[in-house]
Order: sequence, then structure tokens, then C-alpha cells
Amino acid sequence: MPIIDKKILEKTAELARIELSAKEEPKLLKDLENILDYFEELKEVNVDNVEPMNPIRDREDSQRPSVSNGMNGGTLQKNVMREDEPERTDDTGKGKDQFPDVERNFLKVPRVFEDGNSH
Amino acid sequence: MTPLHNLTIKKFHEGLLNKEFSAFEITKELFDYIAVKDKEIHAFLSTDKDGAYAAAEKVDIAVAKDEEVGMLVGVPLAVKDNMLIEGLPATAGSKILNEYRAAYDATVIEKLKKENAVFLGKTNLDEFAMGSSSENSAFKTTKNPHDLKRVPGGSSGGSAAAVASHMAVAGLGSDTGGSIRQPAGFCGVVGLKPTYGAVSRHGLIAMASSLDQIGPITKTVEDAAILFQAISGKDIFDATSADPPAGGKYENLTHPKLEDVKKLRVGIPKEYFTGGLNKEVEEGVQFAIEKIKSLGVEFKEVSLPHTKYALSVYYIIMPAEVSANLARFDGIRYGKRADAKNLLEVYTKTRGEQFGEEARRRIILGTFVLSSGYYDAYYSRAQKVRNLIKRDFDNVYNEVDVLLAPTSPTTAFKIGEKTDDPLSMYLSDIFTIPANLAGIPAISIPVHHLSSVNSHELPVSFQLMGKHFREADILGLGQFYEKLESNS
Repeated sequence: MPIIDKKILEKTAELARIELSAKEEPKLLKDLENILDYFEELKEVNVDNVEPMNPIRDREDSQRPSVSNGMNGGTLQKNVMREDEPERTDDTGKGKDQFPDVERNFLKVPRVFEDGNSH
Repeated sequence: MTPLHNLTIKKFHEGLLNKEFSAFEITKELFDYIAVKDKEIHAFLSTDKDGAYAAAEKVDIAVAKDEEVGMLVGVPLAVKDNMLIEGLPATAGSKILNEYRAAYDATVIEKLKKENAVFLGKTNLDEFAMGSSSENSAFKTTKNPHDLKRVPGGSSGGSAAAVASHMAVAGLGSDTGGSIRQPAGFCGVVGLKPTYGAVSRHGLIAMASSLDQIGPITKTVEDAAILFQAISGKDIFDATSADPPAGGKYENLTHPKLEDVKKLRVGIPKEYFTGGLNKEVEEGVQFAIEKIKSLGVEFKEVSLPHTKYALSVYYIIMPAEVSANLARFDGIRYGKRADAKNLLEVYTKTRGEQFGEEARRRIILGTFVLSSGYYDAYYSRAQKVRNLIKRDFDNVYNEVDVLLAPTSPTTAFKIGEKTDDPLSMYLSDIFTIPANLAGIPAISIPVHHLSSVNSHELPVSFQLMGKHFREADILGLGQFYEKLESNS
């Protein structure tokens, strides 16, 4: 049984917020099948009692994958802190200039709530 | 005519101090040369003549006044287009950042500006540094200077090709799974991936944050040491950055002593020599081993048993991090916002239209391995095997100080050869990935120096991998290799 099918691919693309064209789907599905098939080799590795390199087990309640917590990438570093000192800046220009849609000093974004003929 | 083709950082510095040329003259000559040469190489995405000339003139005034100047003063550099230089484009090779102008300097750029280096321009790369050939750029296909029908490697293919074709004296790249070393290897130049955390990534457009590292691409190992020294160090803007544990300083990066280098024990990991190696690579690496043996260095065969799983581990962890890092490119904050009837469509259309094929593939793969029901089988297992791979290195580093292996299983492949089959493209990083997974430093060194490679020959390179924050070991051994090779 293939690990991934059309339905799972479409669902994953939706989660990733990427619109796929009907044209690219078959090739993408085939590529992903090949790649996931290659990953099968990891099943032969004995990982009993091996800690993940990126421990996230501190929060037992959390099933939510987190790639930003506890990432150490092989260094011996952990919990790097710096002084929490307030800084003041009046320069809003540089960030603002890159924004796709700006009116006066405001950043314009599409409306977040659906427009149900509302007010 | 100044000998542009012989310019290294070291020689540029000497020539500048001896007033053989001015920084402005060299900068001008390089731009004139780029105007012709880059029509066939396509290494640069943008150049900054105004900024470069202004910086060069400032240097010339300082030199005229006989002010004391550092090794990098006036040195013309090429910078991969995923690093920010204030006011200049930083496309990351993606349509989605086509209009973007950097709002600040990356820490590496800030450091190099303090050294009064000169930035010629920004170089081509695979989109968001995802690829092994630079063919995934949304803008152009960079050619290998040794054979225009072949790829320069990737993802830092633009910087590697620019340095190899002498359009820049040195360059910067970024390496997530080999993106400095593999293109340096394919183009016959030197590429250093420093220890994870040795160089700040502040101002580097993130791809996979537990793996990304900025490093130099240069014509000599000595130049790599000079550039690394300038860009390394702890930075408050990157919490993963760090100074070396021993006294907070790197010692002897640029002036290694033979007696120290002789004491290094070199390991040959047998897993890097089993099958799949092409003949030129095998012979080239053997040549390098014999040369280094002649220094009186002790060699030993060692084993890194989990090496074969590195590729799978990497292609699970990296896309997972990619899918998170690239979430910020949503049509709200950067680039052109797609026409859409609601917010969700803004996201899906902008990302669907403006990310290239490989970026989309990796985001979807990363989302899949992190998604509910697949997380344990893929992401979690991969992180465990990653730990085993790191332990392999920890174990062999009890017996040896440095590991020597090929950089890539083959020489540069043909343009278009692997674009239809992502897995075959991924396999070209098989020897470079483990160093990123373990966070250790590694340098790719051409077996024969650029100046001695015939134009019809494809370069072969080997890599030296070291212990965490022991850049001095691999740079030291590399510099002695370079001396031996150029004297033979």
C-alpha cells in the first residue's frame, strides 16, 4: 500500500497553504512516493532508548510537533539567555517599506473575518 | 593589467599595501570583467557598483594616509543572495522576494563592513538554498566555469562559480546539507562550513535552522581562515551562536605550525569509500591522502556505522524545518500579494504561484512528516537516528582528530541531468550532510589548486571534518596540504 495518495497529498497541501495545480499533482505524488519509500530504511535502525536530538518530550500533553523548541543542532548550547533590557526606537520606516500594502503609517492586510454582507 | 586571476585575499592585501594597485582599480577591473565573463557564467543576480566604488575609495584614502589596515580591507567579495546587505536586493533565488530590499545588514555583513571589505554583488542560488545544482533558482542557471554544460553545484553555486572564474576574490555561502562544500568542490575552490553556531545567522534567510551555517568560499585554505576569523563569534541576535569553548578564541587559524598539524590523527571513514564513487574522485582523494601522509601524519581507518541513514534523516528534518521557516512567506508580509477572494486564498495562491517546484515539494514533504499520524514514524524517528549519527562522530573523535573523505561521490554533473528526479539530486549531498546533522565543521579542498587545473578537467575535492569548534585543525591541515600540492 502506498504511504501517500492523492487525498493525503491534497490535505497536506491544504495544511501547508499551497495551491497545487491539477497538472503538477501526479508528478509530485510520484516524487513523494519515491522519497517516502527511500525513508523506509530508517525502520531497520534500532532506536530503543535513544533520545531524539531535539527533545520535545518535556510537555507530555503536547502532541504538537515543534521544530523551534530545544533545537540544538549538535552544539553543546542550551538555554541561551541575554539581558532583558528595553530599547526604544522610533524607526518604523525600514520594516514598513517592505510591506506589500501600506497606507499612511498603517500596514494594510486582507480582512481576517469572512464578509457575510456585514458591517 | 593587474593579474586578477591570481588574486587571493592574501595577495590582494600585499598588493594594496605595496601600492601595486588601488582598491578602486581592482574593483573597476572586476566589474569590467564581470560585464563580459558573467554573460557566460551567470553567477550574479545583482551587482552594486555605487556601493562597491564608495567602499573602495574609502579604503584607498586610508591606504594613502598609511593608516593601519586589516587583511580584508578593500577585498572584493561576492555574497550569496540569501544574506542581507542593507538597501540591496535579497531574493533568496525566489520570485516571492523579487521586489524585496534588505532593511538591515546581516551580522556577517556588518562585521565585514567594519573590516572595510567591498561587496561586488549578490550571487545566484537554488531557491531558498534548496538544491544541489543552482538550477532551482527562479532567475537563472549558473554554469560551471570549468565546463559550461555542467552545473556549478548548489545551493551556493553563484558564489562558487564567481570565485572560481575570478569575478570575485572570495565569497560567502551558506551550508545546510553541503551547500558551501559541494559547489566549492564542483568548481575547484575552497569552501568551509563552520561549526554549528560559530557564525551568526542573523540576516541569513532561514532554511533549516538546526542545520544552516554561513561560511567562506575562497581560492585558498588560508583565505578561508582569514574570512572565517572575521565573520565568526557570538552575536546577541542569534541565540545559537557561540564563541569557542576554549578561552573564547580561535588560535592559530592563519599561521598553523607544522609541529601541531603533525600531531593530528586523521581518520578515513570506510563508509565514505564503499561503491558509488566515481573513478576520478577515488583517485583524487587517494592522491590527497598520500600527500598528507608525507607530512608524517598518522592515518587510521574508522567506522561511522549510521552514515547510510544520514540522507533519509536529513530529508525528513530539513523539510520539516523548511515548512516552518517558509510559513512567513504568505503574501501578507513580503512580495506580491495574489488576487484572492478571501484570506485563505491569499495564502494558498501567493504560495502556490510564487514558490518554485522544489520549494513547494519540500514544504509539502515537511508538512507531511510533521502531521498528525506521521510524526512518530518520520520526524521523531529521524531525530533519534540523528542522535546516533552524532554519537558515531563523538565515538571516532576519541580515536582521531580529523576525518578525511570525498566531498561528493562524483564530479560536476550536466545541467538538466537530475532535475526530473529529485531523489537522484538529493543523493549528490550524501557525503556532506552528516557534518550538518552532527554540527561539526568541515572544509572542502580541491585536490589540485584552481590555477593548476586544466580547463577541460573537472575539479575533484576532498573534505576534512573536525571536532566542534576545532576549525583550527582542519584549516591547519588544509593549509599544509595546499603548500605541499602547490610545490609538487
